[in-house]
Amino acid sequence: MTPNLSRRRLLTATGLLALAGPALFARRAAAATTLTAAEWGGDVVEAMKQIAAAQQNEAMNWVLFQGGAGSILPKIKAAWPTVDYDYVAGWEGSLNSMIAEDWLETISVADIPNLADIPAALVLKNAKGEWKAVPRAVGGMYFGYRTDTAPLKVTSIDDLYSPKLKGAICWPGPTQSMMLQIVALAIHGGGDESNMEPGWKLMKDLAKSGNIGRIAVTDVDFTNSFTSGETSVGFFAEPSWAAVAKNFPITRLTKQAGMSTFLYQSAFAIMKNRPNKAATLDFVNFAISPAMNTLYGKVAGEAPLNAKATTPDALKHLSYTSDELAKYVHVPDYKVVLTSQDAWAKRWESDIAPLL
Amino acid sequence: MSARLGDEISRVVVWAVMLLALLFLLVPLLVTTLMAFDARSYLGALPPPALSFRWFVNCFRQDALVTGLRISLALGVLAAAISSVAGAGAAIALDGAKFPGRGLLLALFVSPLVVPAVVTGFALLLALSQAGILNGFVRLLFGHVIITLPYTVRATLASLAGRDKRLVEAALVLGATEAQAFRSITLPLIRTGIVTGAIFAFAVSLDDVAVSTFLTDPTTYTLPVALVSAMRASFDLTIAAAAVLLMLVTALLIFVLDRAVGFDRLIGQGMFRT
Amino acid sequence: MLLALLPALLIMAAAFLLPMAGLAVESFRLFVPGRVGAAADAPFTLANYGDLLNRPFVGLFGETLRISILATLAGMLIAYPLAWHIVRRWSRRVRTLAIGLMVMLLLLSMLVRTYAIELTFGSVSIFRPTLKLLGISPNSGWYIECLVGAGLLHYIVPVATLTLLGTVQNVDPRLVEAAQSLGAPAWRAHLTVTLPLSRAGLVGAFLIGLTFSISAFVIPMVLGKGRVLFLSNSIFNRFSELADYPSGAAISIVMLVVSLLLVVAVSRLAAPRRRPA
Repeated sequence: MTPNLSRRRLLTATGLLALAGPALFARRAAAATTLTAAEWGGDVVEAMKQIAAAQQNEAMNWVLFQGGAGSILPKIKAAWPTVDYDYVAGWEGSLNSMIAEDWLETISVADIPNLADIPAALVLKNAKGEWKAVPRAVGGMYFGYRTDTAPLKVTSIDDLYSPKLKGAICWPGPTQSMMLQIVALAIHGGGDESNMEPGWKLMKDLAKSGNIGRIAVTDVDFTNSFTSGETSVGFFAEPSWAAVAKNFPITRLTKQAGMSTFLYQSAFAIMKNRPNKAATLDFVNFAISPAMNTLYGKVAGEAPLNAKATTPDALKHLSYTSDELAKYVHVPDYKVVLTSQDAWAKRWESDIAPLL
Repeated sequence: MSARLGDEISRVVVWAVMLLALLFLLVPLLVTTLMAFDARSYLGALPPPALSFRWFVNCFRQDALVTGLRISLALGVLAAAISSVAGAGAAIALDGAKFPGRGLLLALFVSPLVVPAVVTGFALLLALSQAGILNGFVRLLFGHVIITLPYTVRATLASLAGRDKRLVEAALVLGATEAQAFRSITLPLIRTGIVTGAIFAFAVSLDDVAVSTFLTDPTTYTLPVALVSAMRASFDLTIAAAAVLLMLVTALLIFVLDRAVGFDRLIGQGMFRT
Repeated sequence: MLLALLPALLIMAAAFLLPMAGLAVESFRLFVPGRVGAAADAPFTLANYGDLLNRPFVGLFGETLRISILATLAGMLIAYPLAWHIVRRWSRRVRTLAIGLMVMLLLLSMLVRTYAIELTFGSVSIFRPTLKLLGISPNSGWYIECLVGAGLLHYIVPVATLTLLGTVQNVDPRLVEAAQSLGAPAWRAHLTVTLPLSRAGLVGAFLIGLTFSISAFVIPMVLGKGRVLFLSNSIFNRFSELADYPSGAAISIVMLVVSLLLVVAVSRLAAPRRRPA
């Protein structure tokens, strides 16, 4: 094998690839009814893929969020008014921003008949009261711990400060869970989302105590921290708890007096300026039908919102009677929460982060 | 003799430092391999209680990963090629005579490295969308070229640094034209810089997530983006398997290149061959 | 000669300067919480920059710089001897192995790399018994800082070594031999001969390491446990669901300007002194 020949071949191949590159990978024309959906990865997209398969109607192009649902926002804003997605999944955190930007179609029970089975109060609306998002399931954000490794069986917020928990707590960062963990602290201190001072004070004390082992910046952080044994007590959202629960015993403090639980919904947001509105409405309607909503709950690990769907046993910790709801779940004024996010995040960075 | 002692001590110290450094560099590689064969479906403390091939199988099973790989490779090669040519040109020009603003230009060429990838991606997304460039591959190419250019410029500059410029003068005196002198003297000397720059560019392009995230469109995405977005709440060890596969391919490639061309000669040996 | 500069300049203008200019414009716009970025017709304001004039932000910048500089310096101390041995000392086979190892390390995914380091040196790692023996708590602030530095180092060493290969090649080895034959011990010969001749290359490699470290995101995020923060983590917060793009843009512009000044300052060190002919 003479060196010159193979070198030449290598260079030629590279040159050809370089020339052919863009042609090889140019976007292919989409099929007539292929819908493009933006979803969370992991169990959620798995559930949605099964639902799409059950419908047998359309081909779906799944675009997965990079990290949080907020990662899609700059891409939509940059391309606007051209829109690449037929529907975008979201939760209160991301959906309200999209509603404020007026990117979403108004929907109604006439468009989506199965909406009738979902409590109207849950539907996210814009300032004019128009319905903008289709709720599909409910998840929770709450305190909990790994039953096998937690140094202390936590039963109250005060327990978080115990010296036994040195380095054992995984606390969510300022972009996770809308800082509701600090609202929980505030409630313990006698305040709420509109009066956060008691919460900030308690947060500072917690930061100084040395009990926080890791601040989770993404949901994967939290799961890894727990599965590797780095920390064992935390506050997080349902998908992370579910991921840990697959392999380790956890105690979910969803019905623990004094430790507030927060519920969030995941919903479909149907984008404006798209040609496939009818097909999208059709798919979304199918997805929230009782049978499909039950399937979603089972696979994605969120409690289905369709009144006729059945909540899987694994999610019993999220089903509350109205008494329990009043006692354990705090429903904040989301208008306050959402408009305060920026200020709270900045306050976190200036007051709390240096103390950790 | 105190000079001998000084020599011995410094030799031992340097060797110790290099040995520790090599250990430090190698251990995470080994740990990565352990992670790739870990049978557990989560990230757990070492050592893994059981081994399995599942993550490797998963690499090839998911369509998204295969598509991502194709696009990543194409982008990597293209971006490396463009960056290398542009970067080498810039380095040669900047290494030449001093002119006002040279220092500033040098700093400018390194500035994309200073800006976090998230910001570069976001800024490019806005700018390209306003310019009407919507094709995912083209946008990704913009992004990958800009994050790799600083490496190629700097690598080429580093191999130009300190070279004896009198060689070119001597050649000119002996009757060569500027172009001939460049081709036969300067180019072989900076070959090392150009090749390492190209390797950097390829590596950076292949691994980038932050910039690519912003620039993908629903049908065009890179391998790291596909790997990372598959993870939601649970760490998918497929990414470790992909890393191990990449390392194997690299090792193989280097072996093949060494046999075919002579790795040494590919990298270049500069002027003072040992 | 300057024509060779044109392609690179065009790329910089189109893919960097213009987008950064757009970013700068965004940084001066008013952000209304609850929206996605600044509205198209938002008024101009200095508030995003004013927000940064506080101790914690300066502290954050300082921490980023401090750890970056230390990690890069350590990287240089390792990479330079390594590069020199590869070029001058080792046989062809070992040389290929060493360069091959560096290239493989380069291509190792950043995310996997940081988790591997976390599993090796972190708080639940195989290293833990050793740490306990030495009385070090893997949860303490300074250990986490060291870990972040180690993470940066793990990328800087291969990059710097490969960059310095070219530089070391340009140093005439006969000069060192001459110095030694005149009686200088090896360490002195290198210090006075090889090192000054490699100055420009060293500064270049240092700058690559430094700029990479300053803008690092995954490494401080995973190894810093969210407690040791770098500027890019702070920017990331603003680019997430908060959607406060103006503030993120402001931090980025500040970061860019200050870092560029730093780069220019360090580059001056590379200016060779005029040598008598």
